[in-house]
Amino acid sequence: MTTALEPALSVRQVLGLERVLAGEPEVVAGAGHLDRPVRWVHVAEAADVGVMLSGGEMVLTTGVLLAGDPEAQAEYIRSLHRAEAAAVVLGLGRAFPAPPEVMRRAAERCGLPMVVLHRPFPFAELTEEVQSRLVRRKFAAVSLSESVRTALTGLITAGAPLQRMLDEIAVHSACPVVVTNLAHRVLATAGERSAVDDVLRDWERIARQAGGIEGDGWVRAELGGRGERWGRIVLCGYRGDAGTGRLLADRAAEALVLHRMLVGAAHSWEEQSAQGLLTDLVSGVVPARQLLPRARAAGLPVNRRTFVPLVVRDASATRLDRVLRLLGLPGIVAELADGATAVLLSLARDQDPEALATHFATRLRAGSGDGAAVVAAADARTGWDDVPAGLREARHVAEAVAESPAGLDLPPVVRLRDVHLRGLVRLLRDDPHVQSFAERELDGLLCGTAAEPDLLPVLRTYLATGRNKSRTAQLRHVSRPALYRRLEAIEARLGVDLDDFEQAASVHIALLAHDAQQGRNRGSAASTVVEHGPAQG
Amino acid sequence: MSRVIRAAVFQTAWTGDKESMIQVHEQAARDAAAQGAQVLCFQELFYGPYFCQVQDKAFYEYAEQIPEGPIVRRFQALAKELGLVLVLPMYEEEQPGVLYNTAAVIDADGSYLGKYRKTHIPQVEGFWEKFYFRPGNSGWPVFDTAVGRIGVYICYDRHFPEGWRALGLAGAEIVFNPSATSRGLSSYIWQLEQPAAAVANEYFVGAINRVGVEELGSNDFYGTSYFVDPEAQFVGEPASDKETELVVRDLDTAKLREVRDRWQFYRDRAPGAYTPLTAP
Repeated sequence: MTTALEPALSVRQVLGLERVLAGEPEVVAGAGHLDRPVRWVHVAEAADVGVMLSGGEMVLTTGVLLAGDPEAQAEYIRSLHRAEAAAVVLGLGRAFPAPPEVMRRAAERCGLPMVVLHRPFPFAELTEEVQSRLVRRKFAAVSLSESVRTALTGLITAGAPLQRMLDEIAVHSACPVVVTNLAHRVLATAGERSAVDDVLRDWERIARQAGGIEGDGWVRAELGGRGERWGRIVLCGYRGDAGTGRLLADRAAEALVLHRMLVGAAHSWEEQSAQGLLTDLVSGVVPARQLLPRARAAGLPVNRRTFVPLVVRDASATRLDRVLRLLGLPGIVAELADGATAVLLSLARDQDPEALATHFATRLRAGSGDGAAVVAAADARTGWDDVPAGLREARHVAEAVAESPAGLDLPPVVRLRDVHLRGLVRLLRDDPHVQSFAERELDGLLCGTAAEPDLLPVLRTYLATGRNKSRTAQLRHVSRPALYRRLEAIEARLGVDLDDFEQAASVHIALLAHDAQQGRNRGSAASTVVEHGPAQG
Repeated sequence: MSRVIRAAVFQTAWTGDKESMIQVHEQAARDAAAQGAQVLCFQELFYGPYFCQVQDKAFYEYAEQIPEGPIVRRFQALAKELGLVLVLPMYEEEQPGVLYNTAAVIDADGSYLGKYRKTHIPQVEGFWEKFYFRPGNSGWPVFDTAVGRIGVYICYDRHFPEGWRALGLAGAEIVFNPSATSRGLSSYIWQLEQPAAAVANEYFVGAINRVGVEELGSNDFYGTSYFVDPEAQFVGEPASDKETELVVRDLDTAKLREVRDRWQFYRDRAPGAYTPLTAP
């Protein structure tokens, strides 16, 4: 971390200072090394000056102790070189009227910048000028370091999410900030949206460089601890000086490592990144086209691909991600809500999306042991813009399946066509006409549920079993006479004859719509039949 | 003419026994074929643990004859069924006491095309391979498979540029580098050496490394299998460093021609100046 505190003035910058220019400086040797950093300015006349230096100094001299002794002149330069001085500045006039050739040649051989001042001025003025600038820079660096550290530590202490940390880092760096894993997959970004998009647009090329990411103003810092690296943070196109960029990147990396250790997260950064992307896709808040750079940077192949939107219930994102890896299927996985997890497969155009979705579902079931995981799928999409609708369709199918009684003979991959009326009702559940229809049909029961709370479940089982009274009695754990009494009560309250097919169908549709509206309660609704084993739908 | 090879590599953890390990690889071959992969290479000594962490002659049992042994036969049938070229890195017994670290190559019609025997054998902590293997004597074969010309360079071989070059001169389009290498030892060069070989020789490289820690030692195998193209660019992302993973990638052979037309390394190499390299 000390590198960040190194002064950032180069030999060239010192020579460009107004006070120095007044001395008419001329570089007579080592012109190719003027970008060396100057750590300090030191005035020294002693011939053995080298022993007093620790490296990085710009040494000012009049050469009074060297005049007339070519061997001492050459040795003076060599000792500066050995001590890794940044440059030597010789004021002409006192000892040397012109640049001494011996010193110039020795400096050139060593690659040590040698500068003569044709109009020398008191060295104290130069040291004061340079020193104060160096100190100011050091102070600024320490101050920046402290303020960044304080801000990030405050966020960690407050349990802020990763994105908030990155936003703070981006405020300080004023350039896009990208966090990647070791595979260069972008896990999170911050900074001005259009600048971030510009970076991400080119990310595939950047990420595929085996040697890593390099370039002007690209400052990287590794993320890791306990001997293991797991990612990196990149400031993309930092416009300040290199030392400050390094300082910022190092502070940011320290904070992110601490964040991961202390705040942690129920989900890995990879999962969070995929979750953000898929959630945005599903919600439709951001147009799909704008999410394309993020998808590409998240490692999802997007050019000339077929996208297969899937939603899986009762299988964790981690497990689904593992299955994708096992099968070598490119895709991203993220938990949505209510136990549903979205998977977006990206296939080559020549691959069969239905066959591979089935392969995925079959291998998922085989691996899970219970065969329970239901994979809901939408039709494959060849255009990225159609992906959000596809994901919503898959989610819709998954929810319709969840509302179905268990034991239905569903294929490994369930599609809209497999969820029949339930799918339609679920699609229409928010329609006011459907809502009022359901309320109208079930009014007599819904109003009275407080008095007789089990009438609705009895009705649901009765309709789900295809109006099979003995099966309903068995599943509801009631005697046949008790069931008859309840069915009569239901008919009386609803004012319908359940033996009439059309009336029963109407009540059934109303009940499906009611359950779909009560989506959050669907677990208990479905379990009426689930917990008692298979039933006919 | 552009020809795209859908190629696959598979990395996995030791299951604890040979038969289940074979089954895991059979399933991987089926999974690869389901995606339309045309060629698949497994990890080094694929059906066993990486037993070279210890020196125990009990593991000689893992060796079998190539191609007469049962495992090659079994995978020949599978290759034929799936129409998949298979590269099988395994422990070979030529005759009792004459053992090699070998890769057998099976064509998509199930026919046995030949084998490569690992040339460079390490003998360092955790990698006691000289105990188990003779240095290979197969030279640098390149196999003309149904999908293209394929070479194999096994694990420690990768540190020696000469073999990579020999495979390139023999016309390899893809060279597979099945490996077993551990985190502390080599992870920082794992993504340097094979990409460097790919660009120096202007072909595709598929690098495979197993995953996990096995009961025989502390080697932490870090997976991270990948394909890299003749420009030293990764084709898709490298695999996980911990999980079992099948890596399936489309390799466009037009890239090979494009890069060779641009960078004429084969034209400009100077074999006449390399005599000192082969001095004993």
